[in-house]
Amino acid sequence: MRESTIMKIHYGTALGAVVLVAVHVLFRVTMMNYEDSLAYENVLANYKFLPYAIMLELILVLISVHGFNGLRVILLELKQGRTYEKAVTYGCIAAMAGLIAYGSRTILITSMGIT
Amino acid sequence: MKRNENREGIKGMANPGRYGIERFAYWLMRLTGLGLLAFFVGHIYETSKILNGKTAWENMLASTSTTEGHVFLTLVIGMCVYHTANGIRLMLGHSGYGVGKPARPDYPYTPASQNNMHKLCIYASIGLAALAMMYGISVLFGE
Repeated sequence: MRESTIMKIHYGTALGAVVLVAVHVLFRVTMMNYEDSLAYENVLANYKFLPYAIMLELILVLISVHGFNGLRVILLELKQGRTYEKAVTYGCIAAMAGLIAYGSRTILITSMGIT
Repeated sequence: MKRNENREGIKGMANPGRYGIERFAYWLMRLTGLGLLAFFVGHIYETSKILNGKTAWENMLASTSTTEGHVFLTLVIGMCVYHTANGIRLMLGHSGYGVGKPARPDYPYTPASQNNMHKLCIYASIGLAALAMMYGISVLFGE
């Protein structure tokens, strides 16, 4: 993929994440007291509320893509070379996929009420 | 001279000085980015504790709802706000906004893109981060 396309994805995921994370944080501080919002029953209710669960999944994907692409950029600024660049790129993609899979598992199992 | 003699690697990247506030903004952007990625990975792990039931969740909350935990969260708030505000400045700059018009390079070769507006935006990003941290402290420690 062209680097210019990757940067557009980087900026797009950043803007999307800013909006959704703002909603996520507002849920913690405006719906009720911050401490109460972290109570087990309230967090469980958040996960079981489908629009919120979808939003959490979107945040997970957007931040993972943005974060690991950012890490890739930093590592490529440090050192260059065909093998190194491929290793960094595939390593970041693997880490991103792993984190998305792990986070999705939590969202899916909790929102379906299997806990 | 060997090809890599002048290459500082991580040491060069970790040095925020020498090139003014723009270099400091670059350094802080990468530092906050790495910090936020580490926090995000940790956050995904800690929230997965909900799968182990109420006791595991409450144990996790108890271990993070400490003074140190709140100080760390306050830092995360600051990193998040700075990274966002400075990121928007960079996006606008990369899209050609606020970087000046192309002109003939004349002495003293002041780069049009490194103008006062961008410097002001960097200071504003740091200021916003400080304000957000103060709000975070009031929420986390205020009750």
